[in-house]
Amino acid sequence: MKRDTVSRARITWQGTDTPLAGLLLSPALLLLFVFTYFPMFVAVRMSLYGGRRGPGPWVGLDNYREALTSPDFWMALRVTAYYVGGVVPASLALGFVIAYGLHRVGPGRALLRTCFFIPYITSTVAAAMVWRALFNPRFGVANQVLARLGLPAQRWLLESRGVLHLLSGGWIPDDWGPSLALCCVILFDIWHLSGFMVVVFLAALQSMPRELEEAARLDGAGSLTLATRIVLPAVRPTLLFLAVAGVCKTLQSFNSIYALTQGSAVLPETQSLIYYVYAQFYEFGYWGYGSAVAVMLTALIIVLTALQFRALDAGRHAP
Amino acid sequence: MKTTGSNGWRVGRVLPRIPRVSVRTLLLYAALAGGAFLCCWPFFWMLSTSLETFQEAMAPGLSIWPASWHWENYVEAWRSSPFPRYFLNTFLVAGTVAVAVTTSAALAGYALVFLRFPGRRLAFLVSLGAMMVPFEAVFIPNFVLIARLGWYNTFAALIIPWCANGFSIFLMRQAFLGIPSDYYEAARLDGCGPARFLFRVALPLVRPTLSVTAVFAFLGSYNALLWPLVVTADGSRRVVQVGLTVFTTESGVQLHLLMCAATIVMLPSVLLFLLAQRAVSETMLATGVKG
Amino acid sequence: MSRRVGVTLLGLVFLLAGAGCGSGHTLFAPVDDRAAVFWDRQDTQSAALMRELVETFNASSGLLPIRWEHAGGYAEIFRKVSAGIQAGLLPAMAVSYESMTSEYIAAGAAVPLERWIHDPVRGLSEKDLADFFPAALESNRYAAHGNRMYSFPLAKSVLVMYCNREVTRRAGVERSPDTWKAFLEACRAVRAVTGKPALAMVPDCSTFSGMVFSMGGDVYDGQRLLYDGPESMAILDLLEVMVREDLLFMASPGTFDDNIALVKGDAAFVLRSSSSRAYLLRVAGDQAAGLLDISPIPQKDPRHPATVLFGPNVTLFAVPEEQQAAAWSFVRWFTEPEQSARWAVATGYIPVRHSAMEHPLIREAWAQWPPNRVPYECMRYARPEPNVDGWQQVRVLVERALVEVMSGTRTARDAAEWLQREGTRALERAVRAEGRTAGT
Repeated sequence: MKRDTVSRARITWQGTDTPLAGLLLSPALLLLFVFTYFPMFVAVRMSLYGGRRGPGPWVGLDNYREALTSPDFWMALRVTAYYVGGVVPASLALGFVIAYGLHRVGPGRALLRTCFFIPYITSTVAAAMVWRALFNPRFGVANQVLARLGLPAQRWLLESRGVLHLLSGGWIPDDWGPSLALCCVILFDIWHLSGFMVVVFLAALQSMPRELEEAARLDGAGSLTLATRIVLPAVRPTLLFLAVAGVCKTLQSFNSIYALTQGSAVLPETQSLIYYVYAQFYEFGYWGYGSAVAVMLTALIIVLTALQFRALDAGRHAP
Repeated sequence: MKTTGSNGWRVGRVLPRIPRVSVRTLLLYAALAGGAFLCCWPFFWMLSTSLETFQEAMAPGLSIWPASWHWENYVEAWRSSPFPRYFLNTFLVAGTVAVAVTTSAALAGYALVFLRFPGRRLAFLVSLGAMMVPFEAVFIPNFVLIARLGWYNTFAALIIPWCANGFSIFLMRQAFLGIPSDYYEAARLDGCGPARFLFRVALPLVRPTLSVTAVFAFLGSYNALLWPLVVTADGSRRVVQVGLTVFTTESGVQLHLLMCAATIVMLPSVLLFLLAQRAVSETMLATGVKG
Repeated sequence: MSRRVGVTLLGLVFLLAGAGCGSGHTLFAPVDDRAAVFWDRQDTQSAALMRELVETFNASSGLLPIRWEHAGGYAEIFRKVSAGIQAGLLPAMAVSYESMTSEYIAAGAAVPLERWIHDPVRGLSEKDLADFFPAALESNRYAAHGNRMYSFPLAKSVLVMYCNREVTRRAGVERSPDTWKAFLEACRAVRAVTGKPALAMVPDCSTFSGMVFSMGGDVYDGQRLLYDGPESMAILDLLEVMVREDLLFMASPGTFDDNIALVKGDAAFVLRSSSSRAYLLRVAGDQAAGLLDISPIPQKDPRHPATVLFGPNVTLFAVPEEQQAAAWSFVRWFTEPEQSARWAVATGYIPVRHSAMEHPLIREAWAQWPPNRVPYECMRYARPEPNVDGWQQVRVLVERALVEVMSGTRTARDAAEWLQREGTRALERAVRAEGRTAGT
């Protein structure tokens, strides 16, 4: 007997819900408004001015025009696309697989879960040090492994050529696809973000009614069918959340690039849009321009989120 | 012994699974343990580096066995910043933030799912939108606001801006969406009002997610470096992350001490996470619908 | 209904946002009313000494006490001050590089120091001023802002070359090479013996500037960049040759792998600031004195040497009078020979006054380990980098060009042309933006 466990908010309580809703929502919304939206509007306003280190004169949409014609901006956009496309799907998949595995085992789950969560809690500074040591061109383990396999040593975090170019032995042009340096950053973030995914997925899996799995197993479902046909749809709301949250976090992820490149992301092939914003703001002092790029980044995030909702959101609102 | 009622719901207690240690389970354990070990490798490296001498720590390599065991490094690292004060501040701030975020998010998420009111869609979009605003873009205006409110170098500046965030509201909303419809059908038939439903049924059902929200909120506050750095002027309000910045000089890093400090700073969050798992009961929904 | 509400709210907020924007303060509120706060970056080693010095000063100054605060690294301090400028809240002084001070000046937050220097009570006499190294003072003048002094040097450092004596001796290189030609030969000799690269270098703009200076050239002549000039090309060519012959190991920017390689014997030469001395000695441990050596960087013409001068300065902010007075007095006191010498010996920075060189502590340090003397001698001919508007962007471009040349992905000629082109564009962009701001 199929069970529809994705709830529809079809409920109506007696009387109007508005006063109660207002009460429940106001603390959160008020805080969001004051500390997120208001500053965002200030930032939008700032983006219409062209000065350094302060408003300067009104330039209207000049900053936006400048960004759209700047090759550095487009490079940052491309980098961001590779970055998000590399990190989010992989960590979602990895997170789900690990969480499901943890869900299936009983004892030892708490300890294992903590282990998988540790990358997320480890201070980025310390974690980046380890990864940099791993990818150190001279002393790093990665190159030692390559040497063992008879492959040439790589520059890893300093390699601006594309990974496809390197893998294909030079056939594919070196500016197609992400650079090797960016791939290293992507790996780092997958490692870091998967912990987050595992924890949230596991919480959802454990909130799932047991009967679901039992019934399916009774019906003779094999493990793979169980996982993909029954469990995955059941945690769809969480999947949506994690996909959206993953994209938002990754698009705004600044600390990992900063820590992995020690604050000097020299290669534009590793500069995501948020890093570009940071550089324009704090290294070069173009506040109006930096704000404009930040606004465009926010617009991008909104668009991507809307698309994800369309694709994944199962909970429709009541009429 | 299982009995199935007429509406298809299981009635009566579910027997615990008899553990069958199959090859499959063993393989699963092995895979998970292997993955966990790899994930934790950097953490072990941190620990081992923290025990070595200055020179040994600088030696390149990823080995996780310490070259020597200098427990006194921890004493030196502890002494290099007023950590007790920093920890006190940090726990105060992060703890308050965790409670506040969980509360605001749970209430908001509940309202967005179970209540009907005009502007519900707008309210949800507003919460969602807050997730998409990058910190770097709003950092300066936020700081100006704090200064104008006179909150510079106060706990208010460290806590209040963070008491609600879009992620948590969204997460709680999704968790509430995961509650099967039968629960509130039954409750409604019972004549249960929205408030009672919230506290008696909905919240207990999403307890795992509640604790996840609390943990993430705590961590977000705990691991924040830039905002506390800018908003505090002196040690009386500083947080632990700032204590990590003193080990980097212009010509090098005191790696062994930095790793000591990083480990010291990390421990509470790990402990917290371990403890939080106890607070979450695994078998929430095993007993079926309440009568 | 909800849509209308939404739109109204939006409009309201947009209007309010106008109020939340902009600065335009003539005077900033101090972070602490009862103390002149100094935002600095020091690590645990030198922090103790700094605190002690501050206490000594406060005990006898009779002015507002100085409160020294560790405020993160340079990047963090820059963000704190930038944020503070917008909020109208600043400390009395903060450590900064010239490019950071340029930004503070543009925002109206930094005070020109002439009035304090020439102050009858607290100022510096003619004799005092002559005692300072001219280069140290001049680097704090900002041509774009009336050539006034907006920051003051606390201590300086110079680009020097560190050698691993054991490796060089093994290769038969008896003396540190004093010309670039000899240097290339020495590197080849080292590689022949060890099989490993001889020079470990971090791609860094200041290092490159120093190398160009030592070639007899410059990077900016007041009007235009000179990266396409013969001296800059010569250095880039040298790097290209070294990469081709595997004589060069590029350490990742922002790391200290070159220092580590030097101490481990994986490299023979390193080009770093004299302030790295303390750290290198610590890493090398007990045999440091015999293992390491400091020498001036190789020159084109050793009779007319040059190197780059760097090191942080202190910027005083536009806070109330008594805060500025206390801050200035501290700075003046700190640069006096007695304090300066103590600081130099402990940290490896170099005092900014000639008379400090005569101090017994310094002489003792020289006697203890002769290479200690070398950076002081380099002070005579060290030159600062430009502090023109937009220089910060040029620095990043130089680093990128260096990474590309040092990893063999770009030829020297290409890199020089690219750098000249992009650097000029960056400077023009800064001038344009500055002009717009100034025009309002």
